[in-house]
Amino acid sequence: MNASEPNRSRPTAAPARILVALLALMSCAAGCKPADAPAASADGTRDKAGGPTIALMPKSKGNGYFVAAKRGAEDAASELGVKLLFDGPTEPDPARQNEIVETWITRGVDAIAVACENREAVSSSLRKARARGIKVVTYDADALPDARDFFVNQATPEGIGNALVDEAARLLGGRGRYAVITGSLTAGNMIEWQKAIERRNADRHPGLQRIALRPCDDLKDRAFAETTAILNAHPDVGLIMAICSPAVPGAAEAVKQAGKAGKVRVIGLGLPGENRRYLHEGVTDTVILWKVKDLGYLAVQAAHACLEGRLRAGATRHDGGRLGEVRVADGQILLGEPFLFTRANVDQFDF
Amino acid sequence: MRRPGIPAPSRETLLAALLIVEGAVFSVTGHGFASLDNVLGLARLACEGGLLALALAPVVLAGGIDLSLGSLLGLSSVVLGLLWRDAGWPWPWAAAGAVACGALGGLVNAVAVARLRANPLIVTLGTLSLFRGLAEALTRGVDTVTGFPAAFLSLGQGALAGGVPVQAPLLAAALAGSWLLVHRHRCGREWRAIGFSAEGALHAGVPVGRRRLQAHLLAGVAAGVAAVVQVSRVGQAKADAGTGMELLAVTAVVLGGTHLSGGQGSIAGTFLGFAVLAVLRNGLQLSDQPAELAGILTGVVLLGVLVLGARRGGQRG
Amino acid sequence: MSTDLRRARPVALVLGVLAVILAVTAPGFFSRAQLAPFLAGTAPVLVVACGMAVLMVTREVDVSVGSQFALCSVLLGLLLGEGCPPALGIPAAVAAGALLGAVNGALAAGLRLPGLVVTLGTLAIGREALRWAREGRFVQDLPPSVQWLGLGQSLGQWALALAALAVATAVSLGLQGLMAGRWVHAAGSDPAAAATVGVPVRRVTFGAFTLLGALTGLAAALNVARFTDVDPKTGAGLEMQVIAAALIGGVSIEGGRGGILGVSLGVLLLAALSPALVFLGIPPEWERVLQGAIVLASVAGGTRRAPGRPTP
Repeated sequence: MNASEPNRSRPTAAPARILVALLALMSCAAGCKPADAPAASADGTRDKAGGPTIALMPKSKGNGYFVAAKRGAEDAASELGVKLLFDGPTEPDPARQNEIVETWITRGVDAIAVACENREAVSSSLRKARARGIKVVTYDADALPDARDFFVNQATPEGIGNALVDEAARLLGGRGRYAVITGSLTAGNMIEWQKAIERRNADRHPGLQRIALRPCDDLKDRAFAETTAILNAHPDVGLIMAICSPAVPGAAEAVKQAGKAGKVRVIGLGLPGENRRYLHEGVTDTVILWKVKDLGYLAVQAAHACLEGRLRAGATRHDGGRLGEVRVADGQILLGEPFLFTRANVDQFDF
Repeated sequence: MRRPGIPAPSRETLLAALLIVEGAVFSVTGHGFASLDNVLGLARLACEGGLLALALAPVVLAGGIDLSLGSLLGLSSVVLGLLWRDAGWPWPWAAAGAVACGALGGLVNAVAVARLRANPLIVTLGTLSLFRGLAEALTRGVDTVTGFPAAFLSLGQGALAGGVPVQAPLLAAALAGSWLLVHRHRCGREWRAIGFSAEGALHAGVPVGRRRLQAHLLAGVAAGVAAVVQVSRVGQAKADAGTGMELLAVTAVVLGGTHLSGGQGSIAGTFLGFAVLAVLRNGLQLSDQPAELAGILTGVVLLGVLVLGARRGGQRG
Repeated sequence: MSTDLRRARPVALVLGVLAVILAVTAPGFFSRAQLAPFLAGTAPVLVVACGMAVLMVTREVDVSVGSQFALCSVLLGLLLGEGCPPALGIPAAVAAGALLGAVNGALAAGLRLPGLVVTLGTLAIGREALRWAREGRFVQDLPPSVQWLGLGQSLGQWALALAALAVATAVSLGLQGLMAGRWVHAAGSDPAAAATVGVPVRRVTFGAFTLLGALTGLAAALNVARFTDVDPKTGAGLEMQVIAAALIGGVSIEGGRGGILGVSLGVLLLAALSPALVFLGIPPEWERVLQGAIVLASVAGGTRRAPGRPTP
């Protein structure tokens, strides 16, 4: 160990220093205006740039899916003259979402649109936002219903689960064994989709049997390794269902490198752009998703409509701007059914 | 270069100055930064991380380290949830159970380090995986416990008179308590001595084993308490709680001037270090800056403070 | 060499037990279809682990290798995508890695700051900067000729595994045979004593950081060669993986001791855990518990402080 150095920290002076620092911070706080009255945040005049401020949060920022949603949101923002804030945890992190929502409340935004990593966790902050007069809209993954004004739903978990299982059944001819690659065991909507898959499997397609469920930690390379192991451990597996978007190309590459393209089918929830090659090569049969840009667009558009009072609780229809009229049911604004990307249509899309 | 007669500013002074600069800058650029609302909100959000950092400092002071605190928080959260929901314990007892779980985890770390005579870095690297794995196994990864009674939730979401969040007095108490323990009590002197030279301390009559045990135990208890705070704040108990918090705690401790080799450091520094990081994140976000920038600047602040400290006279750990 | 074998014994034992269990209950694990991609995929990890082992022998540690790996991978992907030939791209990736390692080394060895702390800082900066820049977008559609370095899959997989083996052998021989290797051991076991006999301790540490960076760049290239696109999140968790592998393999965190044989076995053991669970049908939520248990068990089994060692 190193020779002793004079102990530079002098404990007796320490409390004085903390006190000084805290006083400095406090004086900044006290010297400025007090907390803004709740009503002020609803009238959209907080931001000097004019036009309301809508804050959009993904589950995590480093995810192509949410980047695509952001692009749609930006379209809506420029169309409606809204200032768009986009921020979120850089990794899927439930506690961090809370923190960011709380900070937005302090900052003063007019509406918040969030994709919830953890339903219950973020709901407590969202309720607080609503109490302050901020409009709250969720998209992609819902919060608890009393914590938000509307949920922009691309498709219900049932819709997604049904689409996946039905497609699997179609490809396997009603009987066969399949494996599921998920993102992480704890991610909220993955859990919902899994349950929906299990239900559909049991109800409609009892001939299908799930033989493995493995997480890939949202990493393509890991999904590759998991799929390879599954292919070798269960040579009779007929289909890989990858429900986390980096897992779809990862699984496809594994099937391809194992020389089983065409023999073991690959379907999943993923971005068409990341799977274009595999779709064309016939390794991947179907990629199920929805028009993600439209989801982002609608999230901001609906939030804006809430702000303007055009969209109120109990509505059954909503004018979705460039998307036309959309259905609203039980506080959920439905984008539509899941969309199946195949070799035939994937080139029409740019995300 | 140090001029004779003028002592180099200490780490605490540097951090306090940095904090003041942050306060000044963000008051201008951040919407609503300089509001009482924000300061109180910060106290609420920062409590859990602050507890971990304050509890980690004595461990590091005594020459050890604990990388498992985040995972221990997760495990304690799960224990709380399952005790309340499945075992039917009333929530105060479930919360006590979570704290006990934290203590147990700290005990495991302490015993493993002592018995296996292995480096705490390795041991806590192992327990990091072990605790998180146990949390995942108990919930099969997917289970979330929610629906806690309002009385419990008010611990994390409620406020005392004047809007002061419940976390504020808790954090203040932790700060005061750890300061007293480290700087006024024999414990602190002995931790420092152990960190400086375990053998020397042993020969000087310091109960090395017992002090190390106490440090790890305390850290574990802090993780348990932080778990209770977090579950009541977010309203759910889940296996992935606390992921990555140990890194934040280590960064705060190191930033605060506590050497990883032990023997040197202060509670004031740790708290200031933590405050600098928390205010940085909060201020940047209120200034509409992306989260990545906060991460980058955290690294820059850490390196910057270290480099400045090195310039002033080689603090090799 | 005998100390290397002795240190590698605990991990060899556990690996052996796992191998026997698999051979009996799930022999498919040893089929070519599983082993070849497994070894090709583990090759990059092994290369980084060798570099980390050398660094740990000098009593330092670098927790930013994951973000170094990601940065070099993305860089290489972008270069290859622009038509740069692999013969130029791969050295560029290695050089980039070396540069990142050198930055860490300059701060740690040059300014005498603890490596763990310095690399915590560079980890945050590197990772967040890359995230900001890529926003999660893959680097896609690399020219197919780049995959497997043009050797085709079968040959390519063995080539990657052999390349990693070659690196491991070279590092091992270097540690034992070259003067630089002896310096590394000396600097790690007792820096003060080493300095007095003329070992340039700080330069050795700087060199170790740089070597780790260069090997990380090389590993990134080996990994990119397996696919035709690059996930910017690649390398997540790499630092913990290689540090754990080194520790399991007998490298001492206090410096001065460690052999590549043990490290290699440690890498294999940790990498084999995940597919082993698939073959044995164990639910995935147990993986972390097993990882933790293995690390603790290896600690209990092997890494006791040598008697007569000066108190650190």
